[in-house]
Amino acid sequence: MGTETETRTQRDAGGGRSGAYTRSVRWLETLDESQFAYLLLAPVFLLLGLIAFWPLLSTFELSLHADRLTGATRVGEFVGLQNYVELFTGQKALVNPFFSLEQPLQSALVVTLVFTVVSVLFETVIGFGQALVLDQDFRGRRWVRVAIILPWAVPIVIQGMIFYLMFQPGVGFAVGPLSDLGIISSQPFNDLGSSLLLIIVADIWKTSAFMALLILAGLQSIDRSLYDVARVSGASRVQQFRYITLPLVIPTVAVAMLFRTIDAARVFGLIEASGAGCTTVPSLSCQVVTTFFTIGRYGTAAAIAFTTAGIISLLVAVNIARLARGGL
Amino acid sequence: MATESESNDGPFTRWVQGAISDPERTYRAMFYVVMIFFLVTTLFPLYYLLVIALTPTSAIQDMGLLPKGFNPGAFVEIFEVVPIHFYLFNSFVLATVTTVIVIALASLAGYVFGRLEFPGRVPLMLSVLAISYFPPAAFLLPLYQLFQGDVMVFGVQVFPRVINTPPAMVLPFSALFLPLSIFILTTFYSQIPDGLEDAARVEGSTRLGALFRVIIPLSAPGVATAAVLTFISVYNEFFFSYLMVTSGKFTNWAPMVYGILNYQTQYSTLYNLMAAASIVAVIPVAILVVVAQEKIVSGLTAGALKE
Repeated sequence: MGTETETRTQRDAGGGRSGAYTRSVRWLETLDESQFAYLLLAPVFLLLGLIAFWPLLSTFELSLHADRLTGATRVGEFVGLQNYVELFTGQKALVNPFFSLEQPLQSALVVTLVFTVVSVLFETVIGFGQALVLDQDFRGRRWVRVAIILPWAVPIVIQGMIFYLMFQPGVGFAVGPLSDLGIISSQPFNDLGSSLLLIIVADIWKTSAFMALLILAGLQSIDRSLYDVARVSGASRVQQFRYITLPLVIPTVAVAMLFRTIDAARVFGLIEASGAGCTTVPSLSCQVVTTFFTIGRYGTAAAIAFTTAGIISLLVAVNIARLARGGL
Repeated sequence: MATESESNDGPFTRWVQGAISDPERTYRAMFYVVMIFFLVTTLFPLYYLLVIALTPTSAIQDMGLLPKGFNPGAFVEIFEVVPIHFYLFNSFVLATVTTVIVIALASLAGYVFGRLEFPGRVPLMLSVLAISYFPPAAFLLPLYQLFQGDVMVFGVQVFPRVINTPPAMVLPFSALFLPLSIFILTTFYSQIPDGLEDAARVEGSTRLGALFRVIIPLSAPGVATAAVLTFISVYNEFFFSYLMVTSGKFTNWAPMVYGILNYQTQYSTLYNLMAAASIVAVIPVAILVVVAQEKIVSGLTAGALKE
């Protein structure tokens, strides 16, 4: 890396600029590489500190304080982990339960879990299929790729709007037949099961493309000569897929699934924009928002937010460990 | 194109025999079936918007595959009912400002992480990465209080009240999308050969001179990739766009999210206008996807699959 020569040329330092500029350029030359690196990183970490690191710590701090009068406790008083204990034991009177053994399916934790697991599984399968299509050579591949990426670029609010218009009773044609079959109710956006199903479908529609692109990158990194060898040895297409493609692409699929899981676990906008709303489908992010804005219970909202962050951190830790092993 | 199995036994049997004797042909047929299936499933929802948009309000009932009537006037009406163009303008401004901030900061960080050796490089990089994984909800409460101007330290207001103004959205957007751009640019900067920079330094250019004259021009493709992805991400963002504007008025810099949602909340039966407004709002990103698809593909993969 950079030579540590302290050359100071008149062409760079100066050039008709003010003395202060010249002095600061010269001062930069006197720094060693580490100091220079920290100096350039300062603005980045200033922004991230204010907008990300501090809020995270502050959320945790907020979650340790009471948000209502209970017995001797006053609002804002330090209560330790009481908010968390009450969340997990179902003692909190929220718009929707955070977690409850009586109504497990209506609790935010379970709704988010179901949404995340089901949508990521389907996205993986469909994304894999799309990647296999894009991996072939055919005329018009560029345009097929555009068509497959397009949903990924559709803003969340419009993704929600599309499904709102499709499943608004009387507007879309599908509500009648599907509710006759008993798949969704006749007022799908007033019913948790139907809403969840539609939101999962909407999510699959939009984000399979992301999966497809990552898996495609994995497919294209496979050494093509392996297939030549297999063909010469008389392996069928199915066998080639089973013994070459699949094992070599699995690590990529795992990474892509992790990314999608982290992303799906924060679902909020789609629920609001599709007409289902946070009261019908209480995801974790939804619950933070309703607890904070609707019923104004800051300590509880912070506890939910921090728990959500904690659950996702576990997933992140897995990924960081992987990256650290790969030596960045 | 697609293989048609016919009720008649003769051709069908022949087709099966052909399929067995020539598996390649079957794979090709299967490939086309699958490809067309994906094209239909990805494009149908967008086509459906067009169907709704072109149907006059009175005729909207159990909409299927074709519009009932033809009323392109909806695309004019949307600007009269809700000034959607102002909301779009706000979104463009917010996305552009965020992109500029993110590119400036990510270029610095990408250069440092990609080209310099210093103690603490890996932990710092991991801390940047970790941020991108946290849900926005984990930052929302303190940020909202900060932007309300409610955060006091020793009785002094730390931050001015910025709710309903661009900083309340641009700052969270920047922090949210910075990590991806840093990642993309780190990859790009680390690929530039060291010799170029060393040569410039030996020739007598200063640190900044080498950075601006040699390194940054070479990283232009990476910068373009990061810029496209950041712009699309901000344009698509919902969480902070929705929560950091409490009024929903375009005069308060409410972005496109509110422009679209206003139809759902205030004009709840004008379905054709909802659809038309959605189409108009999708067009800019659709153009970006067509123009910059290579950049999107390389950026997403570089951001996620850094080996």
